[in-house]
Amino acid sequence: MDRQYDVIVVGAGNGGLVAAANCAKHGLKTLLLEKHNIPGGCATSFVRGRFEFEPSLHELCSVGTPENPDTVYKIFDELGAKIDWRYENNMYRVIAKGENGYDVTVKGGIDGYCDSIEAACPGSRKSVKAFLDLVVNCKQAVEYITKKKGNPNKLVMALKYGNFMRCASHSVEEVQIALGMPEKARNIVNTYWGYLGVPTDELNCMHYLNMVTGYVKDGAAMPAKRSHELSEALIKVFQDNGGEVWYNSEVTEFLTDESGRINGVVANGDKLFAKEIISNVIPNNVYSRMDEKKVPENDLKLANAREFGISLETVYIGCDCTAEELGVKDYTVFVVNDPNPRVEHDTRGLYIVNSLNKVVPESSPEGTCTLFFTYLCYGSDIPKDLKPEEYKKWKNAHAEKYIKDYEELMGIDIRSHIEEISVATPVTFARYLGTPDGTIYGYKLSGWDHLMSRTAHVKADFTIPGLTFVGGHSSRGDGYSSSYIIGYQHSNQVINRLKGGN
Amino acid sequence: MSKPNIKSLDMMKFTAMVPTREEKIAAAPAKKLPELKSYKANELAAALHPTVQHLVVAEVIDAAPDVKTFVLKADAEAGTKSLAYFSAGQYLSLSLKIGESTITRPYSLSSSPQEALEGKYMLTIKRAGEGLVSNFILDNWKVGEKVTASAPLGVFTYELLRDAGTVIGLAGGSGITPFRSLAKAIADGDEDAKLILLYGSRTLEDAVFQAEFKELEKSCDKFKLVNVLSDAEAEGCEHGFITADLIKKYAPADEDYSIFMCGPQAMYNFADKEIATLGIRRKFVRHELFGEYRNPEKDADFPKGKEGKYTLSVKMAGKEFTIPCTSEESLLVAMERAGIAAPAQCRSGICGYCHSQLLKGDVYVPKSVDGRRLADLQFGYIHPCITFPVSDVSIDVPPARTV
Repeated sequence: MDRQYDVIVVGAGNGGLVAAANCAKHGLKTLLLEKHNIPGGCATSFVRGRFEFEPSLHELCSVGTPENPDTVYKIFDELGAKIDWRYENNMYRVIAKGENGYDVTVKGGIDGYCDSIEAACPGSRKSVKAFLDLVVNCKQAVEYITKKKGNPNKLVMALKYGNFMRCASHSVEEVQIALGMPEKARNIVNTYWGYLGVPTDELNCMHYLNMVTGYVKDGAAMPAKRSHELSEALIKVFQDNGGEVWYNSEVTEFLTDESGRINGVVANGDKLFAKEIISNVIPNNVYSRMDEKKVPENDLKLANAREFGISLETVYIGCDCTAEELGVKDYTVFVVNDPNPRVEHDTRGLYIVNSLNKVVPESSPEGTCTLFFTYLCYGSDIPKDLKPEEYKKWKNAHAEKYIKDYEELMGIDIRSHIEEISVATPVTFARYLGTPDGTIYGYKLSGWDHLMSRTAHVKADFTIPGLTFVGGHSSRGDGYSSSYIIGYQHSNQVINRLKGGN
Repeated sequence: MSKPNIKSLDMMKFTAMVPTREEKIAAAPAKKLPELKSYKANELAAALHPTVQHLVVAEVIDAAPDVKTFVLKADAEAGTKSLAYFSAGQYLSLSLKIGESTITRPYSLSSSPQEALEGKYMLTIKRAGEGLVSNFILDNWKVGEKVTASAPLGVFTYELLRDAGTVIGLAGGSGITPFRSLAKAIADGDEDAKLILLYGSRTLEDAVFQAEFKELEKSCDKFKLVNVLSDAEAEGCEHGFITADLIKKYAPADEDYSIFMCGPQAMYNFADKEIATLGIRRKFVRHELFGEYRNPEKDADFPKGKEGKYTLSVKMAGKEFTIPCTSEESLLVAMERAGIAAPAQCRSGICGYCHSQLLKGDVYVPKSVDGRRLADLQFGYIHPCITFPVSDVSIDVPPARTV
């Protein structure tokens, strides 16, 4: 069976879903191939007993409201995907342990945010506000660069967008120190580093600023019916526009023509051809499934140069009492063993606890609630000698440790209320996503391999003709909003190539 | 010290961004990337969750009248080097071809996790009136038979962080199989729990694993067996059904206990009513899968007058089929009868593996076994294993991955 499509999208993760929906919406004959039986990748849900758990989404950034739509809202709206959004306007509570520890609840909105941090760290307001304000210059610069199709006038950049250039080429902490932000305020502001997986002494400032200001301005959004709602809504758009989706259909080979152009794939033993292939699969797994000789040296070197991003250990708990009865007051609590992000990262000292009932009260049956523990780690942290038969005990011991720690910290009893529990680790993500070492975040957004350097270099990074990458491993890095946005932007380029015009 | 000023940062560093990236890339080797299995997380994932396990029958043991235990080993020739480890209480989904039909069935592993490390799985299968597959296996499987199975699946497992220290096991008939696994796992020190097993059989002759259970009771003080005979009386055995009083008699008086039950639907119906009188918290009561849903047309909420024969159109990864179906049987069974390799694992509505899209037509899904996700209800997805047609129906189904 030989089939010809305009576009084949490989992988129905967040980037692949938006890319596929966008291509179909523009009238392209599009096939979406997914190795699992459901769409979404991490954006899914699972049922245990009477609970349906959210497996990965903490707070969707850059959504906004119908009145004040932000990027993600606009993409979903343009595609015609209808979501029952719910909002959390408080940002987070962060509990830092140790001598210089603190327990701070940070509110949303620019004033709420600055007031919260000023209260915790008097004298910081001016610098925190100045930090947030940098985003204005950054956004204007990006608009200007986009208008100039990536070739801005250097003098204009230097004269008008100097702060953008500074943010784009320095770490978060370098910028904050230059602004005179006190250390405690920096640590509180930098609580979100885990969402991007790189501590703020290394993390690109422009990237972090973009995310933080997104949360400050819009709050966080969550779909009412777990992330599975997001994924099935995008599939509906795709199908309503003539797209074809095949599940349980893993791509086992990427086909190239004599010139080295990717022109098809093999799935279920069938050869399927397309003018353009969009891969939601990490480059490492694409290169290993194509003719080795056709992988350009530059692209292969880049893959070798990169480090993998973080993975997670997660604990999903369904409790037989309400959040109020349990004594859980906040949607998001960050617990850190030290206020400093670098120490947190290097000692694996950060975990996050979410209770979705605080944002979506009916997300579990009446009289119950769910808790979602997220602990940042790497696949390479797994002991090299851990045997399959030791795995369950190993992961349960970790889960027990976080539960106990949180119980002691908050003075609550979770353990006796556990009606359902499921524990995932990098092994789970390696199984489900198929990524090397179970990385969820694609490649680490390191000091040289960050949002800005990836974006500036994207055409030179991936040079195989006919192949476009979307997803967490792509130029914007990880996160739901980034994957949706990059899926949209990169599929627009594919659409332009196939349909001409702008 | 000068006043803080962002202008102290060199904006021209911006121009170094791309050259730095290029230097990093240029300095990296152009070597072949490591294979996935060289990463620890992927190695463990592959060992614990193989897509398919190729097995071969190594021994057939008569366990009781009409009950056989099949000992299965890894079929290295077919590509399975070792058996996936599992937790007591998990099952294998077997893929079989019977006549023109391609069928799956879940069977609990009666062997212990330790035995998997020693290279064997055991399935203990009882002849049953309606049990097409069980009867086929009992009549046809001999030493050397090649078997296609899934990885170990299911969540009917003891969870230390969730369950009480004592488990009261309620086993009915062939529902004994996961409890042999759990009893041995406890004796082997692989599960940290106490098991008091109330095992319902018609007569003592129908009860399997008796000699082994006696040995386990002797060697392990965390395991106790109570045979409960409905149709006979015997020394040392209880007579009748597993009632609330019987549970109270053997359960610890002054501490929490978990009830795990595995058996036919009639047993669940009876036991649930009994357990309701004990005032046990819901978290302490666990059921194994309900199994094939039978006689949907007898349900009070089945659409009236919609019993009958219909046509089912199936889209599957670029292929299309049109086959007959009936409101008495699930859409999954209709596809299996037609020889379409549809995905299925639990066959009880719960696991979601058969997740498919309803394109057109009306169906009946019994509420008690509807394990779909909320968004599935909104966007029109079904689990064909517990979905019954009440009109001509058109569905989109993923192909089975184990074929």
